Amino acid sequence: MSDVTVKKEGSAMDLAEVESRIKALCLQFPHGITDAVIQNDMPHLEPQQRALAINKLLSVGQLDLLRNSSGLLYRMKDGQSASKMKGSDNQEKLVYQVIEDAGNKGIWSRDIRFKSNLPLTEVNKILKNLESKKLIKAVKSVAASKKKVYMLYNLQPDRSVTGGAWYSDQDFESEFVEVLNQQCFKFLQSKAEAARDSKQSPMVQRNSSFATSHEVWKYICELGISKVDLSMDDIETILNTLIYDGKVEMTVIAAKEGTVGSVDGQMKLYRGVNAVLLPTGLVRTPCGLCPVFDDCQEGGEISPSNCIYMTEWLDF
Amino acid sequence: MAGKGRGVGAFTFNIEALGIGRGSMPEARAGPTPLFPNTEFKPVPLKDGEEEDYMLALKQEMRGTMQRLPHNIKAHANKAEVERYTERYLKQKQLDDTNWIPDWNFLPKELMPQKKKVVKPVKKKKAVKISRKESDAMLTKLDELEKKDDGNPEKSDDEAEKKKGNEGEEEEEIEAEEYDEEDVEEENDYIDSYFDNGEDFGAGSDENIDGEGTY
Amino acid sequence: MTAQEVRLCGLLLQEHFGEVVEKVGTHLLKSGAQNLRTILHETGISLDLVKKSLCVLVQHGACVFSSGRKGPGSPTEYRTSCDRILRILRYPRYIYTAKTLYGDTGELIIEELLQRGHMTMSSTVKTVADRLTQNMEDGRSMDYNEVSNSFSNLVETHFLQRCPPPPRAGPKESATPAPPAIPGTPAAPVSNAPPTAESFPDCYKVPHVTLTGRGKRQLSSEDVDDQRNAKKAKMDSETHGDEGICWQVNFERFHLHFRDQAIISAVANKLDQTSSEIVRTMLRMSEVTTSPSATCTKPLSANEIFRSLPTNYNILRPILDQYLTLLVDDPMEFVGKAGESGGGMYVVNMHRALANLARATLESVVQERFGSRSARIFRLLLRKRHLEQKQVEDFAMIPAKEAKDMLYSLLSQNLVQLQEVPKTPDYAPSRTFYLYTVNQLPTSRMLLQNCYKTVANLIERRLYESKESKRLLEKSQRIEAILASLQASGAEPEQLTEVEEMITAPEKQQLDALRLHINKLDSAENQVDETIFLIESYITSTATTS
Repeated sequence: MSDVTVKKEGSAMDLAEVESRIKALCLQFPHGITDAVIQNDMPHLEPQQRALAINKLLSVGQLDLLRNSSGLLYRMKDGQSASKMKGSDNQEKLVYQVIEDAGNKGIWSRDIRFKSNLPLTEVNKILKNLESKKLIKAVKSVAASKKKVYMLYNLQPDRSVTGGAWYSDQDFESEFVEVLNQQCFKFLQSKAEAARDSKQSPMVQRNSSFATSHEVWKYICELGISKVDLSMDDIETILNTLIYDGKVEMTVIAAKEGTVGSVDGQMKLYRGVNAVLLPTGLVRTPCGLCPVFDDCQEGGEISPSNCIYMTEWLDF
Repeated sequence: MAGKGRGVGAFTFNIEALGIGRGSMPEARAGPTPLFPNTEFKPVPLKDGEEEDYMLALKQEMRGTMQRLPHNIKAHANKAEVERYTERYLKQKQLDDTNWIPDWNFLPKELMPQKKKVVKPVKKKKAVKISRKESDAMLTKLDELEKKDDGNPEKSDDEAEKKKGNEGEEEEEIEAEEYDEEDVEEENDYIDSYFDNGEDFGAGSDENIDGEGTY
Repeated sequence: MTAQEVRLCGLLLQEHFGEVVEKVGTHLLKSGAQNLRTILHETGISLDLVKKSLCVLVQHGACVFSSGRKGPGSPTEYRTSCDRILRILRYPRYIYTAKTLYGDTGELIIEELLQRGHMTMSSTVKTVADRLTQNMEDGRSMDYNEVSNSFSNLVETHFLQRCPPPPRAGPKESATPAPPAIPGTPAAPVSNAPPTAESFPDCYKVPHVTLTGRGKRQLSSEDVDDQRNAKKAKMDSETHGDEGICWQVNFERFHLHFRDQAIISAVANKLDQTSSEIVRTMLRMSEVTTSPSATCTKPLSANEIFRSLPTNYNILRPILDQYLTLLVDDPMEFVGKAGESGGGMYVVNMHRALANLARATLESVVQERFGSRSARIFRLLLRKRHLEQKQVEDFAMIPAKEAKDMLYSLLSQNLVQLQEVPKTPDYAPSRTFYLYTVNQLPTSRMLLQNCYKTVANLIERRLYESKESKRLLEKSQRIEAILASLQASGAEPEQLTEVEEMITAPEKQQLDALRLHINKLDSAENQVDETIFLIESYITSTATTS
């Protein structure tokens, strides 16, 4: 210890001064500095002291150690994360770095392990630690259920992770989809009704009941029911569910280049249509909906005579 | 057809490969299912209108009428559903006068009721002058009977039942007789004798007159 | 023949012809063609009752007989027709349709024939005229002539037909080739199958009937005996020249009418009234020219259609063209374009329409039973044929877990099928595609069976409900009988009230509830039969695509 004191006195430069000088250099060169830059700036500084200062800065998270083609590079960490990283060890920093590099697409734990070359148990411990410090977050990716990806806490996950407009906190927003489904239908239905009421020729009526996907998109946007921006593709996805609901039909027509809503010279037209049948007779009886239909047998435990669905239906 | 494909066992392949694990199966998850599990959906109300009401009335009327027509055959005269007692009281008369005389041209002759006493002498005569064809038929019959009678222990029971049954139907048979006496007797020798022969063979007693002894 | 069909047939026979006929009928359904002796032996029913039952079944067309199948002179064999017995369920609809087409007279003619199986024209006309007269005001009566005309109309439009002449055993007949089967009634595969009605030339020929007079009013009860005697005497003496010519209801013709109506009303639902009127016109024009089993009508030109439109439909020619174009454009494919001549040639695609209506029926079942989102998946699979679970989730926009549950429910009810497509020959699950699919025809067949079971369940429940209230029903019927006779004998009002009050208030309530239940169950039977009709027609059409 006394040895160190002597050196300190002899160099007339204390550790704190060296640290602040290095930080100043880093601020001057935001892309990072090499060891040589520090050497040139403080030629009298002993390598041992230089290393001490750099290590100190690295350990408190004020400095980043990067590797590029020309060797190692020191760079200033941005103030916020540096202060957050206070008290973290090197391994933690390494993992943090790997996650930061992954951006808003995130990275899953196996890849972190691979890139950091740390044992899995260690990685998991660190991830937990970082999560509890709210430095990173785990995000369920919609691409594969059960697969979690990690990204920096303040990042907005990429669409490929969230699944786009239909996901909130990586949960599929069924209700949102159904609301949009209903709203789109309402729009097309009122259009069809207006067309019918116009009492024009049948062809004109049919044609005026059509709406392009662009029109539907515009209507939904103007309704302002969506917190997120919906694309025309999003709306077409919803319109397709209406087709599978049997409530809407779609026709593709050729469109002039540049027509609003046309894609590749084609335009999709949608219109609300009526059901072709009323609910069929079978589903007007309890048997048509019966969950134990196959187990029902006269004289059996479940039978028409003792059927409670039948009783409820008869007394309704 | 229906009834197949319930539960996991019904699939020929590993259903868990679909992500339908045992634990996640709807039925497994509910635990012990009640006899009548709750249903999420209720039947759509029946269609209701003039047309439906009219067809309902037609259906019920048709059923009522059919049950009173002679086409509705009662096993025993007194076995008729008691609940129909009053209906019978009210309506039987009007249905009696249309009592059913089938058009035998459209029916196999073998289905005609057997003759009652009125016809008896005719038959006796016939039995005496047995033709060659008839006697052949009779022999075949005999063979068949031998085969048949083995292992027919229900015979006596049947007969008791038959007799009971006949009491209630005599009226009808007599009416039918009026018809067949005239034209069918001669025309359809072969089919008729199919029964007659057997009957005569059965010992010719009065008990066997409606051919029951044959079986 | 499935167990469900046999069960339903049994219940229908029992309700309409009694237990004995039911026993004989179901026995024959289960065992195929049998001779009298075997039936007797295997059912253990007395000869007399078996004979009568067979008579009833034959009389109603539910049973056919033929002889000589096992060589000349072999005994007559009887075979019941399941299809024919199931038609009993549709009787109300036949009668109702006759009413809408031919008024009260048509209604009663069809009703009488259905009740009796078959009758001569003269006796039908007399019975119907009597019944109509009964409902007329005093002093008026129904002319036989008028009823005869309605009868002839029904024959001309093929709703009635002559009963085929009965098969007669003999080498002469058995040499003639079997007549072509009419669709829906597959002929038995024996050389001397009973002839179908349409196979003989006079099938739709009305005989000359000498019948003049008017319907008779039924006399009051005291006179019934007299009347009966008089009638009997008359029946014995009078002849009308049509003895031995019996008539039956032509169910196939009614079914064509129902099919056309189903198409017309589907067009009205989907498009509009005018479009449906155009399709109705096209179908009416094709009635004579198009065979019952044809996939589509003969091509009709827009010009012809225009001329045949009902006069009160003031459609201009160019507007008709627009309607036709819209009909052709519609994805339900009710109408197709068959050429350009005559202002455009058009056909009604009956079989496509039936297939699409059957599909809509299946969709409706899934929709009501499993909800609209399961129906979305079902329709999606109908359209896209084969999809992996992930694709189903993405197209239907349903979260994975829910989609999985829905697919599982549909799968377990056989409404959806799963196909394994292995990528490697070892069928390793990890290298296998699992594709969901819907097969419309087998699914329709399964639903048809479900319908049969449903109707049988409804009947069983109805029988149970009446049995539960048997005593009360008897009591109320007895009281009604007493009331009727009291009224007839001019009893005092107080007396009547006294008798009426023998039914207590709670009893009355119970009776009302019972009536409501029975009505509901009966109506449901009628309405399930509509589902049955559509699915049956579709299945038949796939078998006879010509």
